[in-house]
Amino acid sequence: MLNASRYLKIGAVVLLAVAILAFPSLAPNPYILSAGVLVLNYAVLSTSWNFVGGFTGYISLGHGALAGLGAYGTGLLVAKGGLPPFLALFAGAALVAALAVPIGFAALRVRGASFVIVSIALVLILLLVFQSSASVTGGSRGLVVPRPFDLTRPEHHRVFYYLFAGLLAVALLAWWLIDRSRFGLGLKSIREDEDKAEALGTATFSYKLIVFVVSAGFTALAGGLYALWFGDLDPVFQFSILTGSYLVLMALLGGVRQLFGPVAGAIIVGTALEYFKVEYGDTPLHLVATGLLLGLVVLFMPDGILPAIGDLLKRFDRTQKSSIREVTAAELREQRRGEQDDPNRTAMTEAGR
Amino acid sequence: MPTTSFRARISRNALAATLILTLGACSSGDGDAAGGNADDPIVIGVSLPLTGDFSEPGKGVQQGYEAWQKIINEKGGLLGRQVELKILDDQSNADRVVADYEQLIGKDEVDLLFGPFSTRLVVPSARVAEEYDMLFVEPAGAAKEVFEQGFKNLFYAAPAVANDHYNHLAEKILAMPADQRPKTAAYAAMDDPFAQGTAYGLKDKLEAGGIKTVVNEVYPPNTTDFSGIAAKIADSKADVLVGGSQYQDGVNLIVALQQLRYQPKLAAFSTAPTNPEFASAIGNKTAGVLSPTGYSQDAQYPSNKEFVEKYTAQFGKAPEEDQANGYTTGQVVAAAVTAVGCAEQGECQKKLVDWVRANTVETVVGPLSWDETGKPKGAHMIQQWVGGDIKIVLPEDVKEAEFLYPKPAW
Amino acid sequence: MPSGALLFQSILLGLLLGGLYALLASGLTLYFGIMRVVMIAHSAFLILAAYLAWYLHDSAGIDPLLSMIVTVPLFFGAGVGLQRLLLTRLRPATLTMMSVLLTFAVALLIEGLLGYAFTGTQRRINLGYGSASIELFGARIAVVKLIAFGLAAVALTTLYLLMKRTRFGWALRATIQHRDAARLLGIDTEKVAGYGFGIGLATAAIGGTALSLDTTIYPSLHWHWIGPLMAIIVVGGLGSVPGAAIAAMVLGMAQSLLQIPMGTTWAQTVFYVALFATLAFRPQGFFGGRLAQRF
Repeated sequence: MLNASRYLKIGAVVLLAVAILAFPSLAPNPYILSAGVLVLNYAVLSTSWNFVGGFTGYISLGHGALAGLGAYGTGLLVAKGGLPPFLALFAGAALVAALAVPIGFAALRVRGASFVIVSIALVLILLLVFQSSASVTGGSRGLVVPRPFDLTRPEHHRVFYYLFAGLLAVALLAWWLIDRSRFGLGLKSIREDEDKAEALGTATFSYKLIVFVVSAGFTALAGGLYALWFGDLDPVFQFSILTGSYLVLMALLGGVRQLFGPVAGAIIVGTALEYFKVEYGDTPLHLVATGLLLGLVVLFMPDGILPAIGDLLKRFDRTQKSSIREVTAAELREQRRGEQDDPNRTAMTEAGR
Repeated sequence: MPTTSFRARISRNALAATLILTLGACSSGDGDAAGGNADDPIVIGVSLPLTGDFSEPGKGVQQGYEAWQKIINEKGGLLGRQVELKILDDQSNADRVVADYEQLIGKDEVDLLFGPFSTRLVVPSARVAEEYDMLFVEPAGAAKEVFEQGFKNLFYAAPAVANDHYNHLAEKILAMPADQRPKTAAYAAMDDPFAQGTAYGLKDKLEAGGIKTVVNEVYPPNTTDFSGIAAKIADSKADVLVGGSQYQDGVNLIVALQQLRYQPKLAAFSTAPTNPEFASAIGNKTAGVLSPTGYSQDAQYPSNKEFVEKYTAQFGKAPEEDQANGYTTGQVVAAAVTAVGCAEQGECQKKLVDWVRANTVETVVGPLSWDETGKPKGAHMIQQWVGGDIKIVLPEDVKEAEFLYPKPAW
Repeated sequence: MPSGALLFQSILLGLLLGGLYALLASGLTLYFGIMRVVMIAHSAFLILAAYLAWYLHDSAGIDPLLSMIVTVPLFFGAGVGLQRLLLTRLRPATLTMMSVLLTFAVALLIEGLLGYAFTGTQRRINLGYGSASIELFGARIAVVKLIAFGLAAVALTTLYLLMKRTRFGWALRATIQHRDAARLLGIDTEKVAGYGFGIGLATAAIGGTALSLDTTIYPSLHWHWIGPLMAIIVVGGLGSVPGAAIAAMVLGMAQSLLQIPMGTTWAQTVFYVALFATLAFRPQGFFGGRLAQRF
């Protein structure tokens, strides 16, 4: 009964893993390989974003800034601090995670709207700071990060492709573990109804803060790896609001409640971005396309395409009728519109699942 | 994965050129299959910022490249092969510019490369070229940082790097008698390696000559309100005003200063005053504004007359500095290819690099030669707005008008 | 130490800048009060209005001030449409978050289309009186800046009178304070909310015209504005129009004065420092009420 869909799921995961691992050998030239590295980078970033966005429902538009911090942290530790590249990568990520504590402290004390505002402000202020502190960061002259390996360029791409794939696997594993834990349950109760979660004794603030720091750490690792791969950092491109919005778009499009949602979104949006660049390069139509897609997803498909595909499959799979499906508080509320119901049941259904 | 989507996008003009080319090949009717590469066109890969922050100068460089392509093809091409440009848009974005050159070299297997626009984009893209061992002549990476990266394949196709743009002006000012020489100077530069390079090149020389710096402001490229900076400069009453500007920021700063009725004795701005729109943008109050330029339409170099004439016929207006830089890049690469006798990836590129390093090339901006780092060994001319027109005033041997100091009120 | 003249000049500039910030922030506050919506696209509409003013001036020679005859009603309609057709479609439970993304998408759309229509070139209206200025106690004020400030002041006063003195204003304020209670009193809150949105967007039309008088515009300029405006509405207390206006004046002045010792780039950070400080020490903002605490 349930097994059919489970096998299907496992099969899909194996297929995805094989496809990702086989890609470098199939790529016809280094350019396609480098585009693959970029897509994987997006996949890691949006999976990292999904620690906050998926579990708690807090939408951050500022994760681009955390990636930029990771990139500059790693880059500066290598270029100015003389640390070995991969030590610098982890040290940089640890620094960013530590920095995420006060940022999270300010941002997470307030609900929804202010959180988004803070996340945008984070990008803008870091852009100003990194541009202005030219003596440390190189400012608009950029920062050159030395190559970690002495390889030809195609080999360099191949190595980093696998490094990004490894990081993606670790990030996915961490998300999966949290998803199945009590901690994850607490986080999801915040997403569904923060007041009730708090009333039921969940330490909402520390939960949010911890998951924000974890998310920042993974984001910084991806940013640092990018710095080692790409080699040239410029504040304008590292601290860009667009990066953050791409991550949100990818995760939402794929489905924030799904383990592989952000990866699927990254593959779709990353490829689409390349396509638009190649086809409509000399117009700003990629912005229009991004805007339209984001608007459509928000309006008509806020749960993403993976659940949509899942629903479609279920329609064929008649055996599986009474599945235990996650129901959002909003859906429940809509179901019971008109009924005067015990308001606590929403939270209880969720928590007691 | 993005395998199907990476179809080559050839700019419309290049496409048209290819079409004409193909038709020409058909009509000439040599049917024997293209066994050797002698009949294939030489493909030159370029990435330019056609959208985004640098799109205006980016398009200027593109026109320069296209003019060069047309002129060279009319003469029978390079090594008897026609020349084809493959221009991609990098959206003024460093990620993109790297991906573009990666695509041009790896996927499209172009024979030669031309550089992009802006220092910010030149450094990352030069690294790609370097790591694939391609000759990289570029039209716009003028900041000195470009030449401090240890690139061996990079050459800047213009007379001088940013920091040397004002050399003639600095000499002139410091040669003035002590009682006439300005005492104080104010600097405002955009946070951009090129713009800052020009202003600080002059600043270093004037400070060394004892002219006191009273204001030194840096503003981010997205600044639109210059009233605060203008207030500081006007308050300092500096004798000399130096703006490290691109285009619009220079205009905005001048308007803001005019609103405050500030009258310096000397005002020099990079790039902005050479723009054809400049005079009308600041309400024709241009009196005495100075600007360095690497190019003059009236320069007497033989290739320049041809360039100006044919460019004007093609685009309906005379070329500016960006166009000339693009054209110069083409001339440098063409000279190397003609001398070495090859144009393809691999061994050939090394020979091209060695040739450019060892030789002097005649171009529309004069004879160019380079040092070990790819830095050109020349200086810029200084132009001044005199009576509604911009004229070369320095150096003495090429001047079209007398250098005016102190400048008339604007 | 800066001279007295420079200080005075900077204070005047800060006042003029603060006026514009106040007008724009009041629009943002209105949206938030009505629907708990953070309208990221507000500044994109601002730039759109500036572009329309520029375009009308450039192609038909119409004075930017006259362009408001077209843009203000147009934007009012667009605001009503945006609220009624798009925002009401979102699920109430996730409205605040999703509205951010939706308006973000609208902002990208506007930026992309502006870039498509007018390219990324920076534009500036060349007015005959562009560099004219008047003297005030030794300081100089540009005429165009004075006009922009005047526009902001008139618009803000009108908004204030509308909110305080008209039946519609009462209905709007009732809707902001307690939507359900307002509905019980027979107010058509949906309609009122739509009109409120229209008014908010109309302030962007006026602000954009004011902006176009004296500065350069380009499609991605709206990012440059949205940050400070967001900071202003949080510092002022989300949902409080007077709070936003006061915060706008204070922060505009601070930016102008800090430019003297710190330079342009660092002076811009004052908005974000104020934002973080507010959230860390007084999350409800300095002038906001209970409302702000929960959002």
